[in-house]
Amino acid sequence: MRMNVIEVNNLRRIYKSTTGVIKRTSKEIVAVDGVTFDVHEGELYGLLGPNGAGKTTTVKMLTTLLIPTAGSATIKGLDVERQADQVRSRIGFVFGGERGLYWRLSGLDNLRYFASLYYVDPDVARKRIDELLDLVGLKGREKERVEGYSRGMRQRLHIARALLHDPEVLFLDEPTIGLDPVGARELRQAVRNLQSAKKTILLTTHYMFEADALCQRIAVINHGKIIALDTPENLKRTVVDLSVVEIELFGIPPEVVEKVRGLKIVDNVAVESRDQRQVMIVHTSNGPEAIPALVAELNGLKVGRIISREPTLEDAYVRLVGGAE
Amino acid sequence: MKEKTLLGSLRVMLLSFEVQLRQNLTDGFVLFGILVQPLLVAFMALWMLKDKGPDHAIFVVIGSGLTGLWTTLLFDGGNSITGERWNGTLEPLVGSPSSMRLIVFGKVLASITQSLLSMVGCYTLISLIMGYPLTILHPGLFIGSVILTVFALVCFGLIMASLFILIRDIGRMINTLEFPVYILCGFLFPIALLPGWTTPISYLLSPYWAAQALHGATSGTISVNKILFAWAMMITFSLAYILLSEGLYRKILYRARVDASLDTQG
Repeated sequence: MRMNVIEVNNLRRIYKSTTGVIKRTSKEIVAVDGVTFDVHEGELYGLLGPNGAGKTTTVKMLTTLLIPTAGSATIKGLDVERQADQVRSRIGFVFGGERGLYWRLSGLDNLRYFASLYYVDPDVARKRIDELLDLVGLKGREKERVEGYSRGMRQRLHIARALLHDPEVLFLDEPTIGLDPVGARELRQAVRNLQSAKKTILLTTHYMFEADALCQRIAVINHGKIIALDTPENLKRTVVDLSVVEIELFGIPPEVVEKVRGLKIVDNVAVESRDQRQVMIVHTSNGPEAIPALVAELNGLKVGRIISREPTLEDAYVRLVGGAE
Repeated sequence: MKEKTLLGSLRVMLLSFEVQLRQNLTDGFVLFGILVQPLLVAFMALWMLKDKGPDHAIFVVIGSGLTGLWTTLLFDGGNSITGERWNGTLEPLVGSPSSMRLIVFGKVLASITQSLLSMVGCYTLISLIMGYPLTILHPGLFIGSVILTVFALVCFGLIMASLFILIRDIGRMINTLEFPVYILCGFLFPIALLPGWTTPISYLLSPYWAAQALHGATSGTISVNKILFAWAMMITFSLAYILLSEGLYRKILYRARVDASLDTQG
């Protein structure tokens, strides 16, 4: 049996905010609400959820940057609150976005500085930086200032920064956010390489295909709670009884969506915007036979392509998240 | 896992020093403050001295040099942690195994050293142009006083950076803090000219002892014994600030992790 590297037990985090100057009112927001999960050694574990679900808050507690309101978490047996210093030496973390680097310094200077902060010997650091620049595809650009880098390059520099001290555990919080498709694909390949190097990785994302392609197990989180936890294959099996009908539309009023949702043959409805069009994604147990009934509810709206297909992990996710809302 | 060695900690401090220096040297606004402003201040200070005669040149140079150092300490040193927070780099710094105190120490040391070197250059240049001799009465004591002044100011900056985070109102009143310290620390005139009740406040500020030692070593305003006493006070206060910073940094970093304020973007 594989050892648990990350153990999270009933973790909870509440944010407090106050408003007003004279009459102050305070408000509490429960960002993470009693989350429990384990990540095995060498596993690539996904935390999947929509924006504001509590993914980043969970990662920030596990990387010692936030104190949990309740519950506990350990990394390699070390408590993230009480033994933060020891935890920090063993982990690396990357948060999505471009902040967290010194933009007026070169990529190389950034890496040299962060290597020193992790007490990496200068000779080892030099060799490691060279290897990492190769790994993240920044070789030859390392002497340029970070302010001249593209978003993807900065994101890859973040990955290199997180790996400088060769950590046993990696936290990647939406690492591909904002990247172009090529940049995102390269980064996913870099993550796969890390997993081949036996790193334990916790990846958060709201891209289903990313979780499906990379993760061995996925926890779906919404409103601070884990609503499903399984392998991508098993999560897909939760929608095996359904088929999916996609109807391309050009402007769909919300009341029509509600009418479709109210049909007995419909399990769930989601609407995605694609350029000038919308695609109504309908989960139904009737398969293609449901199409005439669905079209009948569209009241003469301009309809484009209609397709019927097998459900994917994304459909399982929509069912889970939609059901929780 | 890498062991925390003394050499490693020294490297953290030196690289924090280097990063701060490189950042400053690529910022036009900071460069103006380092290179142009001291030139203008030095020129004005020595121009105003014209009627007092060249013997007072060194007093004015040291006094106005100290005001420049204090301004650097206040704006650059005081905002050491706040600046990282706005830059989004505070999270990776706090999330590393390095001590935040070592990082801030290196950063403040860079700002002070840079400011000191620029002022030495500016005042020497202007004095030469205006024909004022910059005679130092006790060169050995002066060098010792400069080293201890830098150390004392950096330790003071260590406390200021944490207080600016802990009590955000101080950070908002940063401009109003500039002049009281010039006056209370006797940078430009003796504190004997101030009301008696202010004297104990001056004694609690290490920049006051720095001004005493530097003025004494250059102009002979105080005896050698009193210069050595000022050194002892600077060392005592600096050690006290370092001890105090231990608890302060633990408190502010814990509180920031409770309040979720390590980053400006939740």
